[in-house]
Amino acid sequence: MGNQVSRLKVSLHLVLLFLVTHATAEEGRYQSTYKARQAPDTLIHSATLFTGDGGVIEAGYIKMAGGTIEAVGSGMPATLDNLDTALDASGKWVTPGIIDVHSHLGDYPSPRYRPHLDGNEATAPVTAEVWAEHSVWPQDPQFPLALAGGVTTLQILPGSANLFGGRSVVVKNVSSRTVQGMKFPGAHHGLKMACGENPKLVYGEKGGPKTRMGNFAGYRQAWINALEYQAKWQNYREDLAQFESATKEDKEKKKPSPPKRDLSMETLVEVLEGRILVHNHCYRADEMAQMIDLSKEFGYRITAFHHAVEAYKVADLLAANNICAAMWADWGRFKLESFDAVKENVSLVHKASACAIVHSDSATGIQRLNQEAAKSLAAGRRMGLNISEAEAFAWITLNPARALGIDERTGSLAEGKMADVVVWNGSPFSVYSRVEKVYIDGSLVYDLEKDLKPVSDFELGHRVRGL
Amino acid sequence: MIMRLFILSVLLFSQALFADSYLIKNGRLVTMGMQGVIENGDIHIVDGRIVEVAQEINPESMDEVIDAGGAYVTPGLFDSGTQLGLAEVEKYVGSTDNRVKGQPLGAGFSPALALNRYSSFVPMVRKEGITRAMVLPVTGSEILAGQSALVQLGGNAPFSTNDGNAVHLYLREVDRKLAGGSQASALTQAVNSLKEAERFGKNKRAYQSGKTREFRQSENDLKTLLQVLNRDMTLVIHLDRAADIETVIAELNVFNIRLVIAGGREAWKVKELLAEREIPVVLNVIDNLPSRFDRLGARLDNAALLVGAGVKVAFMTQDLYSDTRSLTQAAGVAVAYGLTWHQAMKAITVNPAAIWGLENYGSLEAGQVADIVIWDGDPLEVMSAPTRLMIDGRWINLTTRQDLLRDRYSDLDKQDIPFGYR
Repeated sequence: MGNQVSRLKVSLHLVLLFLVTHATAEEGRYQSTYKARQAPDTLIHSATLFTGDGGVIEAGYIKMAGGTIEAVGSGMPATLDNLDTALDASGKWVTPGIIDVHSHLGDYPSPRYRPHLDGNEATAPVTAEVWAEHSVWPQDPQFPLALAGGVTTLQILPGSANLFGGRSVVVKNVSSRTVQGMKFPGAHHGLKMACGENPKLVYGEKGGPKTRMGNFAGYRQAWINALEYQAKWQNYREDLAQFESATKEDKEKKKPSPPKRDLSMETLVEVLEGRILVHNHCYRADEMAQMIDLSKEFGYRITAFHHAVEAYKVADLLAANNICAAMWADWGRFKLESFDAVKENVSLVHKASACAIVHSDSATGIQRLNQEAAKSLAAGRRMGLNISEAEAFAWITLNPARALGIDERTGSLAEGKMADVVVWNGSPFSVYSRVEKVYIDGSLVYDLEKDLKPVSDFELGHRVRGL
Repeated sequence: MIMRLFILSVLLFSQALFADSYLIKNGRLVTMGMQGVIENGDIHIVDGRIVEVAQEINPESMDEVIDAGGAYVTPGLFDSGTQLGLAEVEKYVGSTDNRVKGQPLGAGFSPALALNRYSSFVPMVRKEGITRAMVLPVTGSEILAGQSALVQLGGNAPFSTNDGNAVHLYLREVDRKLAGGSQASALTQAVNSLKEAERFGKNKRAYQSGKTREFRQSENDLKTLLQVLNRDMTLVIHLDRAADIETVIAELNVFNIRLVIAGGREAWKVKELLAEREIPVVLNVIDNLPSRFDRLGARLDNAALLVGAGVKVAFMTQDLYSDTRSLTQAAGVAVAYGLTWHQAMKAITVNPAAIWGLENYGSLEAGQVADIVIWDGDPLEVMSAPTRLMIDGRWINLTTRQDLLRDRYSDLDKQDIPFGYR
């Protein structure tokens, strides 16, 4: 009994120690310095609202106050007190800000020359030590272009040359001198993993892996190493705890010294401990099934398969394992593993009750994710699937928010969430509609009519703003 | 009896080949011709040609009457720059037949010889409402990359209807390395190539008896460029930077040739010059990234600005595969950024017909080849798609390999039959 209590004490102590060391490890290092701007309390009313969670409100309103969504409903709010601005949005649509779960803005910026190709640390198949945010150029003129398409939050990933490409970063699409000033406060890092063609083709003549089975052996070895690394640190913490709680005489024993830090292993251990979410580039259905087995072997969770061109073949498996599929509407045939792309992919995954996401992986595609969702929806409907526009809007808002672990804070028009809001001059399911206004944390950051747009340093004097 | 069967079968056979006649009724006919848009109009098609377009037609006999039910009916659409049919998969797989490297072949290269009309990609492109395309070569080792082919994606006519319709010269920033590394050396090389062809044309006999000094280009190339100089072929120059467009137009002024600018991301800056010289521009509408220093001025309203100044524009999707799907989407985006709907439709029908010298295509008018699409909505809307499509007077089966895949995996709950048997 006493033994059990002391064991409990030790483990509590370990938890505390862990929290402390973890906090100190993160504190002051690369933290988000993003602060929402002071925003007027704003009411937008008489619009069609796609709420992002599958809902639609005709003739609805949204009230933003102090940077968050204070109220959403139909008609008008009960009181119009404390309002700085009221916008009559009759004939317009209002939606949550669009979230792109797969982007390389900033790490493959424009202009796109070799000195700017900062997305793939293609020097070894396992580079879990690199962080995409250390590559992101906040002056990439592609950020303002994405904002003109209504994108308020995006995940910037390392490329797919490697089995483990490194850590991703989630940013808000705001004008900032530093990437820290864009980082989504409190968002998890992601880990980019890649299946299939890319790693084996990149490393086939550079020491391997040269085959898919080689890829797989590479993943497994890395996870084995991560478990060892995790055990080493656990042992160290236990030894340290014992040392610090020991009596004076025992203290003459040498204080244990910490193991050598390994950045790559730190990333993998954080995945194993649930603090980093796995974003796995994986086209083929059979490979997704294998990656699910891999995750079970080592006890981690796959949050989303990206470029999941064949997700429709295993949509049931994705649903059963609670894994999102991030997909293009109709990109395909550009490589062998994308040969079986079908336009109904997103709709079929949605209908299988799996978490369907439309992503871009493209600096042009990110400018019209609403149209990509529309194409996916149209294809699904044409084959007889009954999906509403409001439901489909979740593919580019709440579902990617889920995959980024930020769905409690953004991704839908719900009370208490960040006021990341887009006003469209027509239905976002029409090619002719344009984004008219974008609010991030309640602050108006884009206004088509007033020509209010961020202009990156690079564009200044080079370009006509924001087209 | 046998004789009668014989006659019957001959009749049926000839009917199928020579006497197909159709009446499309109640269409929202976007004629792209003098008749404009006819609501609930009729089109009469006989033997692959449109014979009449009118509010109401009541011919005596007809093989099939199709009630369009008020739906949009348009000419088959035209993609003015694609490499479809020149590879099955863009990357890493087998041959990609869109370029030539390390061979004494430049302007004379004709990738049309490699076109695969039976590729499973062709039906996918047709399903987007596209019936015609300009299949073009891209740079291998020469800035004069070769000739494009006009293709018809089905019907009775040969796939490639007009090989060698245009020669493609690449003078973008990325191409300079193929010709000395400077835009100046690249342009000089291009001008010299044309001059060489001029000399070749004047001294053909001497060339054949080996009495001319050696030419840099092969005979194939010289003959091809001679056609450009004779205005039998168009010279399509791929370039983006406004200053380069000005210089190229000035430098090529000595030749009396037909010019088209392709890419033209900064063409809007020199729109008056292009209008005055009547040089058409072929655009990839949606590429607005300042991805290189010769594209800093790329913008989504390029088409609207050019058309506003009187420049004829056509749209291309440009790359090997990935974007052919989005021709109508791109045209729709051009509308969102200021182009009129009608002008956007022109850029994918009558304008390419005029630019590439296609006769009998591009509009729904009597005498035109029957390339016709019936849509389930506004053809430029992202949620619309063709419901029926006719090329050369023949209905095309719109089923694609992708549809078969979709159907195979449409019901994952059904466990009794392995997928390979579905």
